[in-house]
Amino acid sequence: MSAPILRRHLAAATLAAALPMTALAVAPPASAQPLSGRLVIYTSQLEADAQGTADAFRARHPGVEVEWVRGGTNALIPRLRAEFAAGNPRADVLLIADSLTMETLKAENRLLRWADAPRAGVPAAHVDPDGFYWGTKLITTGIVRNARAPMTISSWNDLADARARNLVTMPSPSVSGAALIHVYAIVQNPALGWDYLERLARNGLTVRGGNGAVMQSVAGGERAFGMIIDYLPIREAAKGAPVQFVFPAEGVSAITEPVAILAGTRNEAAAKAFVAFLLSREGQELASRQGFLPADPAVAPPAGFPEPASIRVMPLDARRALAEAEAVQRRFAALIGQ
Amino acid sequence: MARGRPERLLLPLLLGWICAVSVLPMARLALEGISPSLPGAPDDLALVVFSDARVWRAAWRTLVVSLAATAFSAVVGAAAALALGLSALPGRRALAFLFVLPMLVPPQIAALSWISALGPSSALLNALGLAPPLGTPHPLYSPGGIALLLGVQHAPLVFLTLMAGLRRFPAGLVEAARLAGAGRAAVLGGIVLPLLTPALAAGAALAFIAAIGNFGIAALLGIPAGYTVLTVVIWQRLAGLGPSGLSEAALMSLLLAALAALALAVEAHAGRRGRRFVTAGATAPAPPLALGAWTRPLLALFVLYLAAVLALPLAALVSTALVPAAGVRLSASTATVANFVSVLFVQRNTIVAFRNSLVLAAASAAILVMTALLMTRVRLPRAARLAIDLPYALPGVCVAVAAILVYLRPLPLVGASLYGTLGLILIAYLARFQSLALKPLAGAAARLDPALEEAARLAGAGPVRRLATIALPLLAPACAAAAILVALTALNEITLSILLYASGSQTLGVVVFGLNDGGAAGQAAAVSVVSLLLVLALMGAASLAARRLPPGTLPWSP
Repeated sequence: MSAPILRRHLAAATLAAALPMTALAVAPPASAQPLSGRLVIYTSQLEADAQGTADAFRARHPGVEVEWVRGGTNALIPRLRAEFAAGNPRADVLLIADSLTMETLKAENRLLRWADAPRAGVPAAHVDPDGFYWGTKLITTGIVRNARAPMTISSWNDLADARARNLVTMPSPSVSGAALIHVYAIVQNPALGWDYLERLARNGLTVRGGNGAVMQSVAGGERAFGMIIDYLPIREAAKGAPVQFVFPAEGVSAITEPVAILAGTRNEAAAKAFVAFLLSREGQELASRQGFLPADPAVAPPAGFPEPASIRVMPLDARRALAEAEAVQRRFAALIGQ
Repeated sequence: MARGRPERLLLPLLLGWICAVSVLPMARLALEGISPSLPGAPDDLALVVFSDARVWRAAWRTLVVSLAATAFSAVVGAAAALALGLSALPGRRALAFLFVLPMLVPPQIAALSWISALGPSSALLNALGLAPPLGTPHPLYSPGGIALLLGVQHAPLVFLTLMAGLRRFPAGLVEAARLAGAGRAAVLGGIVLPLLTPALAAGAALAFIAAIGNFGIAALLGIPAGYTVLTVVIWQRLAGLGPSGLSEAALMSLLLAALAALALAVEAHAGRRGRRFVTAGATAPAPPLALGAWTRPLLALFVLYLAAVLALPLAALVSTALVPAAGVRLSASTATVANFVSVLFVQRNTIVAFRNSLVLAAASAAILVMTALLMTRVRLPRAARLAIDLPYALPGVCVAVAAILVYLRPLPLVGASLYGTLGLILIAYLARFQSLALKPLAGAAARLDPALEEAARLAGAGPVRRLATIALPLLAPACAAAAILVALTALNEITLSILLYASGSQTLGVVVFGLNDGGAAGQAAAVSVVSLLLVLALMGAASLAARRLPPGTLPWSP
């Protein structure tokens, strides 16, 4: 570590010790000094959103040079693993789709612990209790319906109905992290469970690649219904696509697009400021402006979404999901004939 | 006979180049399989991987679809090359130009356009009352669908390789056979095909390794079909949870390496057989065969094929780019240029990506054609040829991982790392696409008559002079074919650059993939349309410039 960074840490620590706790909660210690240096972010955010997030952060911390690389979680993970194997990871911050991937990285000691990160209005349920990663928004998986579909739907069970035979598709859990979480959430839901997935498979459920492929399949009329992440159909419907997004009565599954700091970061102060920014009121309002459901329920959701209080999220035990991961994925793959 | 000093130096120099570009990253990847550098992998990982029935099933499926796809590419590519290269078919230059273009159509666009053209929402089938009911499983999501799409995508590889072979075709032999009363079939079977064996073998080998290393089409159709091939399994392990994915992927890559070695052996065998026929110097191009009553049916066949593989996907691409949201039907009231405006004028990275991809395509084509041309001057050991083929036979993500493993650390002497720069993407392209440049050139060089060079040597011409005045004019069509193959493939490349780019070094593939991934299919299509137009303009400019080159250099030039 270079001397100036070390000095900055010492200064921040001294400052933090001198400040009362209430002040600490409002302003994270790192922002007490102007930040500088390069911050490399690996993110699965969409191109425009990644740009917007970087720009908004730079407006707050003009001294930091933000560099971001975007890709699907399934492209970023091989990249990160190769960097680990070569012994020199380049990223400081990881902002990716699902917390399961974060859990494995945490178990491998790849993440930096920050126990007292200021999570502002983000509920404790959306952050890692051990302080390794923090949810930044809610991306829920519900149902997209083509306007020409033969029936309306309000429940997950409607997709297993005879009228929906061969009309349902979903993203492959091997491609989409959200779809994987969705399968775990259904398996863990006593009202649905494997029995529901088996009924769906018997009813002709097919998988497509990612959520984008499901969107095209349903919007183009190749399939009538799709399990899909919320913002794609909501955004496209606003632009005139013949689709509608439904929050089923049993609840939706959700991923939280968590942010984490890599253990080998070269710019810890800026990385912490970035995390704090995403969780702050300002960061949450940015997420809403970008068309996502903010993690902070006090921040108004974007147009097209219902009141956050009315959205029911199916509970998910991440530890159990991780322990059963291999078995669940095999059983699901066998179910849909992979 | 003692060779001159420069020629004795050439082989070690080329072997050094192959080691640096191909062997080094491949060996580093293999090492990762043998001794994982990340903690947490079981000790008997190789046993675990190779005793997994799913891995072998995937390998078998790779072999099956790749053989079927290669057969399709070889038959279609060879038939088209023979028809356009030897016959007097009207409009054959335009057809040769159009036959290459499907390489530039993103496969997901081709697949989606066929799915919607033949599916429940097909406007055509609905008008005829033939549309299948909503929810009918689509036949393209099947092993046959994968093979078909791969076959179509790679037919230009065989076509271009053969066209290069046909361009320096000994007209004298054909003339003599015809004078002796041989019919068209006898000329084709007795003279043309044996002479073309090395080029055909090279083209088919290229199509085969392109098929086994393909990830995009295999994932697009194979995942919905429940038919997972090796590249998809490799990628799933790489992207999956757990630290041993890298090593598992490296181990499974060995299976693809074995398949590539098999293809190389077959190609070398066929090439040896074909080498018995040599071209005695440059002859005037053969007068085109008159087709008589076959003209119209053949022309109709071409038009039908190009309509299916080019016009239909292009129409889908353009209409996707012109509507505001997915699923909206294109009409005068819905058409919008918003997608084009957004990608060209609002998003800063598209223009950067255009520039990067053009630079990468031009640089890889230039460097690889030059090295491939030099490689035809020496006898490369089989192991070196395999090292060249390997990076093209593995999924792009494996080559990218290998590049990261080798080049992440700062370079010795320089002190800076190439990682994240355009330079590393170029190095990875050089590794991956060398095979695309070498095969057409090797196929054409195998037919050159050594007597020509021998005569020049006796007359006192040095190696450089012989290369410039004898080999280069004779191999010019093969050089052009190699350059077109490399440049077009590089322009369309996704899987390597998505793992290697950093801000400022994104490629077209990264941008298109990112837009599709985020559901902005319209903007992705707009980028593809613009890049197609750009390539059309560049190919047009190349045709103009080709007037200064030896005749027949470009497949579609006179």
